[in-house]
Amino acid sequence: MADPQPPQQAARIAQQDEADLVLRAAAGDRSAFGVLVERYAGVARRVARAVLGNPEDADDAAQDAMLSALVKLDQYDPRRPFGPWLLRIVANAATDRRRRRTVRRVEPLDVGLTAGGPRPDTTAERRALGERLRQALAELPERRRVAVVLFDVEGYSHAEIAAVLGIPEGTVRSEVFHARRRLRALLADWKEEA
Amino acid sequence: MKEPLPFDHRPDPLVGEALRQALDPGDAAPFVARVLARAAEMRIASWDAVLARWARPGVAAAVLVALLAGYLVGRATAAPAPRPSVYDALLAPPAHPGEVEIVLASVIGN
Repeated sequence: MADPQPPQQAARIAQQDEADLVLRAAAGDRSAFGVLVERYAGVARRVARAVLGNPEDADDAAQDAMLSALVKLDQYDPRRPFGPWLLRIVANAATDRRRRRTVRRVEPLDVGLTAGGPRPDTTAERRALGERLRQALAELPERRRVAVVLFDVEGYSHAEIAAVLGIPEGTVRSEVFHARRRLRALLADWKEEA
Repeated sequence: MKEPLPFDHRPDPLVGEALRQALDPGDAAPFVARVLARAAEMRIASWDAVLARWARPGVAAAVLVALLAGYLVGRATAAPAPRPSVYDALLAPPAHPGEVEIVLASVIGN
């Protein structure tokens, strides 16, 4: 049986594959664009939700970003990874939407959830933890939110996140650190309560 | 709980999994379908825009081409003008008799 490809080589092949998909999508190949949308739908929606909170707004922002990326595909440099390029557009689209949003607001959370109320069963418990985490995330500065989601959920490197957010790598490390400290404290409290 | 190092380069699985669940957007299929439908609408709209942008210059160019073609065809098929005969050239009275007088006066004057 052949040895598995080393990670760097696999990453290079994946990047080449994506560059090819992007070229085809830019030339009008709908199926290639479809593959890219399927591949990045999850991360784009999560990043947008980290910024906006509201899932409907987040999906609208992610959709706008995908379409904007389609229009700008000729500006993409195929020597660079596609993910950070796309996610920068997603983060900007979500930020723009948040700035424009003045009237619509997320439903206020149940006081019992934010103050550590009773937890009736496991499903409700998980849902409540999710609400608490989203609440905690919403209290963090926007850049910190996106940084921790990209690092701990999506597995992007500090350098890639720096490219997405347009900030130095050291600042990304600091943002991730502060976000983690807050979220870890929340998770620890949750466990103690359990 | 262990405090994360400031420069920890590894993702935190605990925070990562909890956040993933908290931000879970649900089924991707409807979202993907929506994006692709909008992309298709955009493509149609962009073709319409291209056609609309080129419609007026296109009609003007077609009219010019038709006029030019008509002129060229008309010139090619028109009867050739009659060539002057030797008689016309040498013996026929001049179309402008005054010119001869001017020429003669200038010769006599010299």
